[in-house]
Amino acid sequence: MVAACKPKESETEYSAGDLNLSNFVAIGGTSTSGYMDDALYREGQENSLGAILAKQFEIVGGGSFYQPFVAENSVGISADNLAQLILGYKTDCLNITSLSPVRKASSGDASIFTEDLYDGAKPFGNYGIPGFYMAYAFSPAYSSQNNFFKRMASSTSATVIGDALNSTPTFFSLYVGLDEVMTYAKAGGKNATLLTESQFQALYSPIIDQVTSVSNQGIASTLPDVTKMPYFNTIPYDGLNLDEANAASLNAIYNPIGLNFVVGKNAFVIEDPTAGTFGVRQMVPGEKILLSVPLDSVKCNKMGSVFPFRDEFILTIDEVNSIRNSTELYNNYITAKAAEKNIALVETDDFYNSLTAGIVFNGIGLNPNFVSGGAYSLDGINLNPRGNALLANEFIKAINAKYKSNIPTVDATLFRGVIFP
Amino acid sequence: MNKLLLLGMTFITGNILFSQGFQVNFQGQKQQGMGGAGNALPVDAASVFFNPGSVSFLKENSVNIGFTPTFANTLFEDANTTSVGRTNSPMGTPFSAYAVYRKNEESKFFYGLGIYTPFGSTIQYEEGWTGRFALTKLQLKSIFIQPTLSYKLNDKIGIGAGFVYTIGNVNLQKDIPVQDADGTYGHAELDGKASGFGYNVGLFVQATEKLNIGLSYRSQVNMEVAEGTATFTVPSSLSSNFPSGTFSSALPLPQVATLGLAYKLNEKLAFALDINYVGWKAYDTLAFDYAQNTASLIDTKSARNYKNTIAFRLGTNYSLTEKFDVRLGLAYGLTPVQNGYVTPETPDANRINYTAGLGYKIGEHFQLDASVFFTHLKRTDANIETNLSGTFTTNVLAPGLAIIYKF
Repeated sequence: MVAACKPKESETEYSAGDLNLSNFVAIGGTSTSGYMDDALYREGQENSLGAILAKQFEIVGGGSFYQPFVAENSVGISADNLAQLILGYKTDCLNITSLSPVRKASSGDASIFTEDLYDGAKPFGNYGIPGFYMAYAFSPAYSSQNNFFKRMASSTSATVIGDALNSTPTFFSLYVGLDEVMTYAKAGGKNATLLTESQFQALYSPIIDQVTSVSNQGIASTLPDVTKMPYFNTIPYDGLNLDEANAASLNAIYNPIGLNFVVGKNAFVIEDPTAGTFGVRQMVPGEKILLSVPLDSVKCNKMGSVFPFRDEFILTIDEVNSIRNSTELYNNYITAKAAEKNIALVETDDFYNSLTAGIVFNGIGLNPNFVSGGAYSLDGINLNPRGNALLANEFIKAINAKYKSNIPTVDATLFRGVIFP
Repeated sequence: MNKLLLLGMTFITGNILFSQGFQVNFQGQKQQGMGGAGNALPVDAASVFFNPGSVSFLKENSVNIGFTPTFANTLFEDANTTSVGRTNSPMGTPFSAYAVYRKNEESKFFYGLGIYTPFGSTIQYEEGWTGRFALTKLQLKSIFIQPTLSYKLNDKIGIGAGFVYTIGNVNLQKDIPVQDADGTYGHAELDGKASGFGYNVGLFVQATEKLNIGLSYRSQVNMEVAEGTATFTVPSSLSSNFPSGTFSSALPLPQVATLGLAYKLNEKLAFALDINYVGWKAYDTLAFDYAQNTASLIDTKSARNYKNTIAFRLGTNYSLTEKFDVRLGLAYGLTPVQNGYVTPETPDANRINYTAGLGYKIGEHFQLDASVFFTHLKRTDANIETNLSGTFTTNVLAPGLAIIYKF
């Protein structure tokens, strides 16, 4: 009686529409590779953008998606040879212990760089390569410059685009150009430049030309505004809290050059060669302090106050604006090229903007707050599995719209967020 | 400054809601067999609930005890993904017990007592379902205790009134989207006892030999949870963010005004129609006030925005023989839940109820009444608070039995 009472599931027809998804290749940089928690490690790869997409494509007849997997038990490795970040406890210079990202091991698993994973019978679908710059897309020496590519390259003279297209993909995703912006942003703009509009175009154009010459179906992604990521927004510009004595001593130092401090909240002090005679000023709203800043020095050694923050820890308003303006120009070009090639376009920048505003997925609230926001991994830049699932859904929606397919989006509640001890 | 990392950590506690579940219209087996109508048809002691005014027109003293095991199954199909979720709710256990007594046949007063469960249900979803952060389980129990006095003004008119004391219990559970190293999610359980007061009044008019008219009004009952227990199971690093402790809340059980008509075509065949007007509008907000707040655990106020609704209940009783009665009924109810507000607690929809019943007299004093109830609900919605978007399909099957002793 009880069983007879169970409602029946309706039968939804999923379809590939006009798509041929038998061989899907995801081309991109760090964000495509599955790199997260500041490392390439197995779980991240299993939840990479391409892997999530490929699994959904399977529902409508998509083929196998092979990845250059890191070993299950590996602690992973970052671009700086560090292990993946996990949430743990850290005791600071004030002897206060609190929850904080810490490295899973004292060093990264460099053994993965000695691997040679290429297998012609199982061509990789994930050509997301951590740290990939468009300038090296056709460079035959790239495997000697990028260890992450080296372990998956078909030969020592292989090129990224050459290898990616070697298996004649029927469908591709192209999400490149972000690593270049990120390099600039993570350097605080110091000794770094952004690609000019024409430089970007000159690099992007041959890549998309080459890829679409092999696969006429695909999706191109715009680039998010990186300045909205938690890496640049966790420490507030006005987080300098002063008591009376500290305010007075700072006033004694800085009043002569026109800076004033009050009891309570104050803007941090930074180096800025363009600021007056002394090249020192206080931060203004909209300026960013990077997560790379040594917090103990801030807390105990007067960094950001008596000792101004150095340029490498700061994105000034000018730098923030150049990142935003450049990203917009790049995105205009990507949009135009996607139209020209008659492929789908996913406005990844819109997704990140909605995340900045806060989104709710089946009762899970997600926002750009560091650690607690739920979508970013512990590096404050790359998405975690749940974030990737949500971004993959944007890809799927754009693909469905372009190719009259009906590929289901993924249930983001089935993907992990941040793991708490 | 590492404390910065966790500032502003809130986890959508705003959608912790309990709700009315199903309004349960299982207060009398005869009436259940007739679509739930009975306001203007005083056939047994269940009139204490249906219309206290009509109690004075009952013919005998009696005790009436009934039970309706309720089997509800809900299926959720996500609109955007391949995820589905089912309930594995335990059997619902609405019951009713009534006693009516008058000194002798000349007495114009009837004393009555009703104990019944007009609101409450348990809905429990299978483990790991996609709406787990909105709800995993809601158990709402309420028992109304109603001493009643009914007075026969004359041969045509009866009035009655009952005082209602309500006791109840609510238990709401959901997962919290914070995971430990095993991937286990946090869990919240809110449990509290509630109580409230109200009344039930009625007017009954035997307009003609064949036609009865009834009016009844059951007041709103505010169920106050003064000191509930909130228990949070979270990764140890977050235990101070989610301190277990007490909470307070309140839930209105709505007022119901009913117009009833009954028509006796002949000795064998009777029809009854009830029109209920249900004041669900009272349920506009659900608030939880935690005794101890943190950045993660804030007091919540959630818009419910229920609207007042109408239900039509139509039934017929046919006396097959002296001993056997057969009944059929149909009801149509409009949902109080507006688009955008459908939750897993109340996957409600406009509904048609189909009912049937049997009555059998055993000797002079005993009578058995059986009924069966079926309804099918389907509602597609995107909840504005959780963004849970999809279709809830629910089947409810409820067979019931009552035994009546007349004296």
